[in-house]
Amino acid sequence: MADPSLFRLRVVFRKAGRLALLSHLEVARALERAVRRAGLPFAVSQGFSPHMRIAFGAALPVGVGGEREFYDLFLTRYVAPAKCLEALRAGSPDDLMALECAYVEHAAPAASVAYPLSTYRVDLTAPVGEWPVPDAVTVVRKKKEKELAVAEYLAGEMLLADDGRSVMFALEAKPTGSLRPDKLVDACLALMPEKSRPQRAALTRIAQSDGTTTL
Amino acid sequence: MPQTNLWPRLRPLLARVERPARYLDHEWGAGAPAGDAFSFCMVYPDTYELGQANQAVRILVNAVNAADGLAAERAFLPAADMADLMREEGLPLFSLEGCAPVGEFDVVGITLPHELAATNVLEVLDLAGIPLRAADRAEDDPIVLGGGPCALNPEPYAPFFDAITIGEGEEATPETLARIRELRDAGAPRAAILRALAAIPGTYVPSLYRWRTEAEAQEAGSWAEPIEPGVPAAIERRVFEGFARSDAWEPTVVPYTEVVHDRLNVEVLRGCARGCRFCQAGMMYRPVRERSADNIVAAVERGLAETGYDEVSLTSLSSTDHSQIAEILARVNGACDGRGIRVSVPSQRLDAFGVEMARLVAGQKKGGLTFAPEAGTQRLRDVINKNVTEDDLFGAIDAAFAAGWRRCKLYFMIGLPTETDDDIKGIASLAQRAYDRAKAAVPPDQRGSVRMGVSVAVFVPKAQTPFQWDGQISPDEVLRRVGLLKRSVKYKAVDVHYHDPKTSFVEAVMSRGGREAADWVEAAWRRGARFDAWTEHFDEDAWREAATEVGLEPEAIAQVTREPGYVMPWAHVSTGVSTRFLALERRRAAAGETTPDCTFGACTGCGACPTLGVDNELAAPRVAPAGAGATRGADEGAPRAGAPEGGACHG
Ligand code: SF4
Repeated sequence: MADPSLFRLRVVFRKAGRLALLSHLEVARALERAVRRAGLPFAVSQGFSPHMRIAFGAALPVGVGGEREFYDLFLTRYVAPAKCLEALRAGSPDDLMALECAYVEHAAPAASVAYPLSTYRVDLTAPVGEWPVPDAVTVVRKKKEKELAVAEYLAGEMLLADDGRSVMFALEAKPTGSLRPDKLVDACLALMPEKSRPQRAALTRIAQSDGTTTL
Repeated sequence: MPQTNLWPRLRPLLARVERPARYLDHEWGAGAPAGDAFSFCMVYPDTYELGQANQAVRILVNAVNAADGLAAERAFLPAADMADLMREEGLPLFSLEGCAPVGEFDVVGITLPHELAATNVLEVLDLAGIPLRAADRAEDDPIVLGGGPCALNPEPYAPFFDAITIGEGEEATPETLARIRELRDAGAPRAAILRALAAIPGTYVPSLYRWRTEAEAQEAGSWAEPIEPGVPAAIERRVFEGFARSDAWEPTVVPYTEVVHDRLNVEVLRGCARGCRFCQAGMMYRPVRERSADNIVAAVERGLAETGYDEVSLTSLSSTDHSQIAEILARVNGACDGRGIRVSVPSQRLDAFGVEMARLVAGQKKGGLTFAPEAGTQRLRDVINKNVTEDDLFGAIDAAFAAGWRRCKLYFMIGLPTETDDDIKGIASLAQRAYDRAKAAVPPDQRGSVRMGVSVAVFVPKAQTPFQWDGQISPDEVLRRVGLLKRSVKYKAVDVHYHDPKTSFVEAVMSRGGREAADWVEAAWRRGARFDAWTEHFDEDAWREAATEVGLEPEAIAQVTREPGYVMPWAHVSTGVSTRFLALERRRAAAGETTPDCTFGACTGCGACPTLGVDNELAAPRVAPAGAGATRGADEGAPRAGAPEGGACHG
């Protein structure tokens, strides 16, 4: 996989605004096209159907935005990161804008598992006085219902902001799977009385880290 | 007046529907909201996935935005789940760029891409809150324009449109909009605007024509009688005369969600003169106009750079017929070398040259190839003017399987005029012999992977073709013939697929019906029919009950065969190809005589060039490859165009 002759460029971008409604696959396609529009010297895989050598970070569900998302792009020659950024910005829509570019080591962990710890913020349509957290969340996986224990995935507390309008929390991806942030938030909201229950105005991943370093 | 922005109301609904990406706008290349400009909403009457890459949408939005003081936005029919939710929430149909109510636009244009989109037209109007019938629209309702392939028989749609453009819209649409704006600015009432539109060449204003009785129509030579002086008795198709010289690069919207034909589409030529007698596209886009190799290659390079697509299709009814196709493909291959870009070329050619062109762009990955012999025997291929012999087909098969393809699909039609059971058995025989040829062209250890598919569609008589007078066989007869075909195929590796004859039946009625068919469409829609082209949505009962309700006998419209002298309901619409030529072609069909493709030799007198004042415009002379019958071949039209799946462009 690691081809030492290639240059591994890590691109940080945002998934914002209405484009938070894109699926992971849609975002991936859009980013690939942005790379092509930028005219960067991307590497192409060998084989029957050659494709761009690009690797994406951990997926976000439909409807969840990200302030600092990233992908790794393999280039066939060195281009100064500032030049890459400029070219990518010219070819990117505002809501999927490239923010930073830097080269990373080939030995660094794969993009999809590089940062298992994600911090999210949910903004609410109306303030709440308290934020109940369920012990378990029921999810559907491969058409089967499954109970996920919240404690297994939730790192720390879910913190309600002083004004009651937003909640911050961190989730850890496990090798066996992860708990979707939107499912957790919806399960929390479901515990509130229907009359005073707000809705999610926005759900955003605001940081990703591996426990020591933050992207 | 600035338009209402519905986004704040739409946004919360998007969490509750499938694939919200299709309602978002903000794609790369999407235009700006119309703002205060004279506004045109271009509507494709199906979902975003089907309509976004549609050529008419792209061309007309670009053409209108390029005109001074006019602005175009796009709109698509929401999927069924979204449409239901919008009705529940009272949210009207919205445009993409400005998220504005479609009903607030000055003009709404709806393209008519195929015969099964009629109920969707009503769904569009209803969701937009625009009265379904032109007669019921008020002064401040949008003017509703129609156009597209189905406008060649506009009658089943006539009452729903204020005006219908016949033919190519590059010039006609901006011209029509500019005229409406001028009259609106001058305070002209709706009726005066419509009268003025009737004076624009190629424009049919249905409300200005009385529908004659059958006897009157046969006597007068037309069903549509102008109700006042100055209204033209016949409407002639518009042709974009400057097509060949116009830039092949067209600004393109790059969707986020996956859509059909999700790639850079570069139109390389327009028109096809192969002259297949069942084919509407082969009659309605004459004369043939080719863009030059330089124009095309420059558009591919610029288009890939500006869109970021990893696939380009050189589009037309049959791009391998382009006189410079070998040069174009070699240069396009060079231009995308090493970038993982796939190239595809729709082709109607059924010969080794066509395969060679497919091979040029296929790279290492070879999916399936499709060929369309259309009929199983030489006799019937002569009747339909599909100028392809068995040897042409076998030559193509030899070349394809020797070059590495392992799968091939053969398209046929059943129910063609004069078809007998021998022709049906001929399909089985041809497919099996093609399979034998394919196997023989492949190394012995790979013969097990050879597959030959047979796909049969039901013949639908199309307006403005030599077979417009021929009736369709009944759905029961279709099933009998399909049964015969299936029993005649003895090879396991040859599998047979066929189209649902019930939808083909509705297509035939829509294709041949007069103005009375519009009531049927509306009644069917009121009974819940929509998305008729989607098998899972097609509601046969709604159509049947609607026929009873409005007293229409659809069988009589779809299945009756007329003499070529009979005046058909679209006689007032002219593609330029004369009815005399169509009748002559019908007689030649009966005699088994073929007619050559005029782009390879002499004019065959169809009438298109002198009537429309435009000639065939080729980038270079077309030369017949030695021994290839495909030079005289024919085609059915875009949807079934044999499209070799492209492979990667590799060094
Ligand atoms: S008028 Fe003649 S040259 Fe022109 S399209 Fe018809 S047959 Fe061809």
